[in-house]
Amino acid sequence: MRVFEPLIELARGLGTTFKIMLEKPVTVQYPEQKKPVKPRFRGRHVLKRYDNGLEKCIGCALCAAACPADAIFVESAENTDDVRFSPGDRYASTYEINMLRCIFCGFCEDACPTEAVVLGDNYELSFTNRRDAIYPKEMLIEPAPAGTLPTPQKVPPGLYTRSVPEMKDPQD
Amino acid sequence: MPKQLVSLIIDGQSVSVPAGTLIVDAAKQVGIDIPVFCYHPKMEPVGMCRMCLVEVGRPVIDRVSGQPVIEGGKPKIQFGAKLETACTTPVSEDMQVVGMSEKARTGRKEIVEFLLTSHPLDCPVCDKGGECPLQNLTMAHGSSESRFKFDDKQHQKKHVPLGDLIWLDRERCIQCARCIRFQGEIVGDAVLDFFRRGRATDIVTYSEPGFDSIFSSNTTDICPVGALTTADFRFGARPWEMNSAASICTHCPVGCNTTLNIRREARSDGNMVIKRIMPRQNEQVNEIWLCDKGRFAHHFSASPDRLAKPLVRTGELVTESSWEEALNLAARSLVEAKQDFIVLAGGRLANEDLFNLKALADGLGGKAALYTHMGGGYLTTLAGVSMDTNFGEMGAGTSILVAASDLYNEAPLWYLRIKQAAARGATLILAGARETKLEKYAAHVIRYAYGDEAQTIKSMQKSKAGQAAAEALASAQNLVVLYGSDGLGLEGSASLAEACAGLLDMTGHAGKPGSGLIGVWPHANDQGAWEMGFQPVADLAAEFKNKLVYIAACDPVGDDPALAEALKSARFVIVQELFQTETTRLANVVLPAQAFTEREGSFTSGERRVQRFYPALPAFGETRPDFSITASLAQKAGLELEGTSALLIMNKIASKYKSFEGLSYARLAEVREQWPLVGRGDIYYGGAIYANTQGLGTRLALLEAGSLPGTKPVESKRPSESELLAIPVCKIYDRGVTVLPSTLLHPHIGDASVSLHPDTAVRFKVQAGSTAQLTVNGTAYQVKVLVDEKVPASVALLPRSMGIPINTPATISLKAA
Amino acid sequence: MSLTEKYPQEVKKILAKYPPEQKRSAVMPLLYLAQRQEGYATRAAMQDIADLLAITPTDVASIIGFYTLFHDEKEGRYRMQVCTDLPCALRGADQFLQELCTNLQVQVGQTSEDDLVTIEEVKCLAGCDKAPMFQLQGENGIEYHENMTVDKTLELIEALRKSGKEVK
Repeated sequence: MRVFEPLIELARGLGTTFKIMLEKPVTVQYPEQKKPVKPRFRGRHVLKRYDNGLEKCIGCALCAAACPADAIFVESAENTDDVRFSPGDRYASTYEINMLRCIFCGFCEDACPTEAVVLGDNYELSFTNRRDAIYPKEMLIEPAPAGTLPTPQKVPPGLYTRSVPEMKDPQD
Repeated sequence: MPKQLVSLIIDGQSVSVPAGTLIVDAAKQVGIDIPVFCYHPKMEPVGMCRMCLVEVGRPVIDRVSGQPVIEGGKPKIQFGAKLETACTTPVSEDMQVVGMSEKARTGRKEIVEFLLTSHPLDCPVCDKGGECPLQNLTMAHGSSESRFKFDDKQHQKKHVPLGDLIWLDRERCIQCARCIRFQGEIVGDAVLDFFRRGRATDIVTYSEPGFDSIFSSNTTDICPVGALTTADFRFGARPWEMNSAASICTHCPVGCNTTLNIRREARSDGNMVIKRIMPRQNEQVNEIWLCDKGRFAHHFSASPDRLAKPLVRTGELVTESSWEEALNLAARSLVEAKQDFIVLAGGRLANEDLFNLKALADGLGGKAALYTHMGGGYLTTLAGVSMDTNFGEMGAGTSILVAASDLYNEAPLWYLRIKQAAARGATLILAGARETKLEKYAAHVIRYAYGDEAQTIKSMQKSKAGQAAAEALASAQNLVVLYGSDGLGLEGSASLAEACAGLLDMTGHAGKPGSGLIGVWPHANDQGAWEMGFQPVADLAAEFKNKLVYIAACDPVGDDPALAEALKSARFVIVQELFQTETTRLANVVLPAQAFTEREGSFTSGERRVQRFYPALPAFGETRPDFSITASLAQKAGLELEGTSALLIMNKIASKYKSFEGLSYARLAEVREQWPLVGRGDIYYGGAIYANTQGLGTRLALLEAGSLPGTKPVESKRPSESELLAIPVCKIYDRGVTVLPSTLLHPHIGDASVSLHPDTAVRFKVQAGSTAQLTVNGTAYQVKVLVDEKVPASVALLPRSMGIPINTPATISLKAA
Repeated sequence: MSLTEKYPQEVKKILAKYPPEQKRSAVMPLLYLAQRQEGYATRAAMQDIADLLAITPTDVASIIGFYTLFHDEKEGRYRMQVCTDLPCALRGADQFLQELCTNLQVQVGQTSEDDLVTIEEVKCLAGCDKAPMFQLQGENGIEYHENMTVDKTLELIEALRKSGKEVK
């Protein structure tokens, strides 16, 4: 009987192997198939706009202050009614995120008072040198919604007199 | 008489302070921070904001006996039914102050809640965010939730220009009146005030132009919220994003301590630039204030017009060159010139630069001269102010004489501090040919005609107005004399200096503590030059002829185009400068120098105080520090000078010049705790001013006076009925090389102008506000005519450095253009 | 023309009432004087008063802003300040004001078309028992008009329009 014991063990092992072979694999055939991300997934940053096309970012640099990796660089400038980027006094004239420093923690999204910077769903980032890793505002701002003009916009005077736009409570 | 000490207990801690101290200040001295908004330690308390509410208990006094009631061996303390404001309540014996009880805490919380009902949610866009007392005190003392409906917040004008340098945001204003009180009490120019009442209260200015005060930017430091902000720094950067460097302002001889805030910016092509200049506390120089010129005129440092590479001229062609080549050429010419050369230094240079220039001149046998229109400086080294002289401590018993100087334009912080000294009881005597702003505070005003300056000082007793003044001068415990160059050239001012020094001698104050002579120089470091033995020359044209001329930090041809011919007749011209000027255009070798913002060094203020400045920015282009350029040149000419370390040069200065004895960079970097506490956690108390952690500087020792020289008579031009005499005066915003690149000051600089009395304007048939043609020394210029009743008859006031050459009174012709 | 040139005697009389070292106290009577012609204090008048009393124009402006009876903007020739505080309201002052405004085709705070009268709403003129009432501020000073009805008020306005003088 002793000569069968290794065979029995072998059969048990192989049985597990064959059982698994017949099961449906969990492998996702990336890049042809992409698994959808979870709702609060933290991916590439996006600077959002309002429905009328104006940018939400008011250049306050709270995201830069909150960032634990010092990945964000913000410079602000003044809006005029002729050259308007955001509703309010101030907009970000320079907005850069260094993706190599970023740890995708989402503190910037938490800190933003106007829900301008959000961490979106895109995780497919690659660059071949350090300079390309610094994403400027042009790469981060989302395109203008259909039917609106891109910023800077020329707006009628007196429309945007608040320094920080009216905000509603966040939904999620 | 020393004040009596009072003992009291604040939050369980015993403290003993002089009688009359307010509870807030007493608490601060033992490290207890009672929050305030409207109170400022340099101004009278008003008790408007109610943030400093505390519980105050006082000993119960028995009505019959008038003695305190004793219970259990201690006085019985009765606390008031309501909270009291700590800023308006002076201490009293055995008082008990409780700031940490539930009642006091709740009171404070509710006051913050009230303040926030009217305050907009502007923190993300407000420039004050990060250095905002309202933010800090709300976090410390406020409630985490608000009971107020945001829709009910009132909306007001947000971007109101008060003048063109300061913006007001009416919604953010918490009506603490710090700005109004600063302007009214400290500056004496009530150009800000409240308008309307209750919730609609606004800040307004009705002066022409708006907020007409050269101290306007200080209100942005003491404003506890972001209501007052500067136009220069609007949305510039967040306070935590900037680095700081300690520096000294170089626009006038006061030597205000500054902090330069710098940041590396994308909009400046990745260069580090100065974002703003903030005051640095030095209670003996500028306290916690700066004037607007010192605050805003910093853009020259980053100007793209600055010289970045050495330039060499061959014939008519000027080409960029390397340092080696340029220095070799210059050194060769220097050696060839043997002893036939003159070094002309400007007062903008640091002590270390001046030392090297003098050492080069002395070592190679040439002449060293100071480029200036104001003489008499050697007297300030002999009869100058002593170690402990401090305008901030002067009061009754001190007399201050200001002769021929418009301090408001020439040295604003001295104007401010002398005005405050007069308010504290010092006797202020003004001797001037025209009415100036400081006269409002003078006990005696001596008016003379232009040309009679020195004579007036010498024979003060002879005139009736002078007699009372002379009495005050003679009987004073301390006497400080400031002399300027209003309407005076080199000889005139030297003569005036001699008369003033003679006055100090005669009244027995020369060399005594708390007394001395101060020169209101046109540049920051003229005093340093005088201390090192530089002397001015009267006839520059004669000095230039056939000599090698080595010019550093001055523009003689730009100031007087007639010198162009003389400079062309020089053998060889080397110029060390920041920008291309008329002088550099005639130079054989132009060496680009660093601005003071890019290197370290020290300046000597007009009060003979040596102060260090530190590098804030990297070098512009290929510029080198002035002392390094001079040392390289000297080395190639066979003379060894220190060219790498400013610290080592200071050690050499200390060993060579008696008045600098004992000085070193370490000594200059010493700091002491200063009162009031500012900066860091104390921004709510003193304002967003930077604490001084990098050096208070120290005074130079007084040399042995010996006998002061007698006065030589000087022929001065006097006004006469038949002709028009142009008088050189100082205007704070001029076309100086370091001021012009600041475009936001251009409306204040304006065009070249001449000021006349209305009768004079009629006589010469020119109208106020019109353009006229002014001819001086054969050349005609276009000027704007201004009319002012304060201008004396038969003279025309012509500001210096506005494009029209004038250094000493000159006859001019004026006609409508 | 400066204030002193226009009303030399009155200015002198006003200044004489106050000690020379406190002459800034004369600012309020002088402001009433300055307002007489135009119904408001012009910038030039503010400068005049400031020069006379050695204070700044901003100081003068601040006093104008604080008090309801001083004005710095041109409005109607007469200002009708109607009290609508509680006791007056109990006697119908609210309706009075509304009807008056409707009749004159203005909102509260606005001036009538012919720049004659500005209707303003103020608090408590101490005429509570004779409400509805208002005070009329014009070139002849301030007059109280009590126990008024809309008709009586319209008659008053007509009279002002015609003669330029008030009829009690």
